[in-house]
Amino acid sequence: MKLEIYIIVLLYFSFHISAAQVATDSVKSNQLQEVIITGTRTQRSVATLPLPTQIITGESIRKSGLSRLNEIIQEQTGLITVPDFGGGEGIQMQGLDAAYVMILIDGQPLFGRSAGTLNLGRITVNNIERIEIVKGASSCLYGSEALAGVVNIITKKPEITEKLKTKISYKHASFNTTDVSTTIEYGKKKIGLELFANYFNTDGYNLSDNSFTQTVEPYSNFTIQPKVKINFSEAVNLLINSRIFNQNQDYKSEVNVEKYSGESQINEWNNSLLLNHQISDKFKLVYDFYATNYKAREFLNDANNQLFDESNFNQWFYRPEIRTHYKTGNNIISFGTGLNVETLDRTFFETKAKLNSEYIFGQLEWFIKEKWNVLVGFRYDNHHQYESQFSPKLGINYKWNESFSLKTSVGYGYKAPDLRQLYLDFTNSAVGYTVLGYNVAEERLAELSSQGQLLFSNNFSFSNPLRPESSVNLNFGGYYKKSNVTIDYNLFYNIIKNLIDTKAIAQRTNGQNVFSYFNVDRIFTYGLEVNSTYKTSSNLTFSMGYQYLIAKDQTVVDKIKRGEIFARDPITLTSFRLKSSDYFGLYNRSNHTANLKINYQIPAIKTAVNMRFFYRSKYGIFDSNNNNILDKYDDFVKGYFLTNLTLTKDFNNAFSMQLGVINLIDYKDETNIPNLPGRQLFTKIEYQF
Amino acid sequence: MYKSFFLKSVLALSVLSLLTSCSDDDNNAANVSLETKTFSNLYAPQTGGQGQPVGGAFTKFSFSQNATVTDDSWDIAFRGTTIIVNGGSAIGITDEPTRTGNGAVSIVTNTLDAVTTIPDISSFAQDATNTYAIPTGSGNGWYNYNSTNNLITPIAGKVFVVKTHDGKYAKMEIISYYKDAPATPDATALSRYYTFRYVYQPNGTSF
Repeated sequence: MKLEIYIIVLLYFSFHISAAQVATDSVKSNQLQEVIITGTRTQRSVATLPLPTQIITGESIRKSGLSRLNEIIQEQTGLITVPDFGGGEGIQMQGLDAAYVMILIDGQPLFGRSAGTLNLGRITVNNIERIEIVKGASSCLYGSEALAGVVNIITKKPEITEKLKTKISYKHASFNTTDVSTTIEYGKKKIGLELFANYFNTDGYNLSDNSFTQTVEPYSNFTIQPKVKINFSEAVNLLINSRIFNQNQDYKSEVNVEKYSGESQINEWNNSLLLNHQISDKFKLVYDFYATNYKAREFLNDANNQLFDESNFNQWFYRPEIRTHYKTGNNIISFGTGLNVETLDRTFFETKAKLNSEYIFGQLEWFIKEKWNVLVGFRYDNHHQYESQFSPKLGINYKWNESFSLKTSVGYGYKAPDLRQLYLDFTNSAVGYTVLGYNVAEERLAELSSQGQLLFSNNFSFSNPLRPESSVNLNFGGYYKKSNVTIDYNLFYNIIKNLIDTKAIAQRTNGQNVFSYFNVDRIFTYGLEVNSTYKTSSNLTFSMGYQYLIAKDQTVVDKIKRGEIFARDPITLTSFRLKSSDYFGLYNRSNHTANLKINYQIPAIKTAVNMRFFYRSKYGIFDSNNNNILDKYDDFVKGYFLTNLTLTKDFNNAFSMQLGVINLIDYKDETNIPNLPGRQLFTKIEYQF
Repeated sequence: MYKSFFLKSVLALSVLSLLTSCSDDDNNAANVSLETKTFSNLYAPQTGGQGQPVGGAFTKFSFSQNATVTDDSWDIAFRGTTIIVNGGSAIGITDEPTRTGNGAVSIVTNTLDAVTTIPDISSFAQDATNTYAIPTGSGNGWYNYNSTNNLITPIAGKVFVVKTHDGKYAKMEIISYYKDAPATPDATALSRYYTFRYVYQPNGTSF
């Protein structure tokens, strides 16, 4: 690549010290208390909130120079980005799968989990003000899906400035990646307008030897986010947020030497109306209306340009909600009620699937004297298509002294069976097996049987509805903050019941199985997370994070205890019985993950050096000794270190330039880590006027 | 000092040789008729599959002859991932051989060596109309199918105690479905080649 240019610019940075400039006030130490809204939907200081949280500031995002949300998330303690098929990445939190983490943009949920994972690469980070993460079951506020936790991406709000403000950034990176963003802000009297636009384009990369398909095919996308803020009066304001996202990616496949190519397209649209009404000093009403549509289409053409395969996915979601917040003293009582309407029309569904529910939630933030804060919350979801859910939560914060507080919380989380698990009707054309959603299985089995396509049926009953996956989550932690040190730790424990997995329900005459979804497994995860920052001077900050994690399947633990699980010796090919201590746990979980981040400001040359080091200990992604579980005799993905480096130089208040290297040591594991493409260089310029 | 060392060594050596000769004798006594054999690359092709009707002749095996057979003296027979026993009645699948014996199978979760007795009679199953004595499908009987790499792997610790067509017993464990039993088969490995270890007991009810 254009390595020479990078070297020249690097040299420029290092020699620039001689031309030292007068330090400006660009480096202000931030003494403000950190505030978070995702934990309670009210403004809360992190110190008093009894929940484990994490905030990624816009400033740290800017300093990193990264482009997409997956890149930011994988730099955070305890958040592991897990590759899914198709190149997407989701978040593993407290050892729980990406399917259980709710992703919000400005408090509104994102949709489009065609295979369970919501691809974080869809989200640009260029207009993010901060990202709030609440760990642990949060269904008491957010309902289904918020089983492992919530990630709330808070984008910049329009300001009423009476001035036209424009910001442009341009980034070029390895793999011919271009990332262009622009923000235009304008405000007059009572109206503020903001328009954000982003264009992202990449050639993707290839870690395999295949010359036809790539690990990640080239794609390009754009995001447009217009926002309007209207202040009708001191007490009433209206926010209109829209987001339009479009992505096109090459799609290729090789089936029995035949080559097929096509495209994979995503069209997403989110719109929210938020009316805030401050009725009195004590009483606030919020009217919230949200609508979103996620549409995806994939097709493959054969060599003669004839359509070979096509699939469609079209999901709609509407939600009107009303919330009230009532303040008495320091205490806040919140109530809300709303309605969810979701529809999904997709290939392999016989008819359009619908999910409806109504819900209410309530919450009390109770400050008892100086030292205690109690958070009590509940939510009741009245579901029409499956069992209704009551999700309580209790948190207690005890302020030990000015700098140290103890936090503990217990909560309930659940994830409704997704529409695929209820309504899928899919037969694999190559192998011939069939997967049926729970709600359509009985009817389709009867059909198959009457057509003489079934050899036998295992006679499962479908009379009781498929139950939501549910969890109980416990956290016990502390938060210490004194002058230049913060330490935040949390011990967590999650137990998930009724995990949904497939089971063979019948066999077809071609010898292949018919599968459906059932509540089968029970898993648990526990561990410790520690985050700390240390400021040696106003110019040098260290931050460290560590997570210890154990994640296991209870059924497997029991089976091993009963001596029912064996492994095959790779040399002799004979079986031997496993001991309890041989069980490693669930796939894709590392016992240890850690990071160290160093931020060094050189005021003399208005330059910031931002270095980040990451470690992930070994983990398994498949069974290699014939028992379908991960034990210590299996093949593991080796533990590894990664290093990212970004240099930021501000020329004046308007212009800045960045240089960066992602994966400096060029670590790669082609067969096991498809989302780690090796060393990437980038340069970015930003200009505002 | 040298002398005593020498003496000790002689003593130790002779004890050692005694021990080993003893254990040799034991082995001979126990294994004179019960030998663990490995049968490699039993080819069990099938026609159809991949959504098409499955057919083709089963490959029939006799434990007493340690060989594939074409007559009625078979104990178990293989076609693709399907295994049938020479006992019970026809399942109702294409090209099914006629059963003339009184065979059956009991699936035990254990290591091959640790299975020393014949399991309870009630645990033995025979083929019957629409029922396989050895359940078919991934995770049901003897193998797991991985849809990402399309590999068939025999589940570790699944031992078949087979009652042969003529009422004798054999215990067996399938160790590979691929030609020459590679430890880690890849996409190029040739499938439908069974390798299994077994012990045949011609007269008795323990192994």
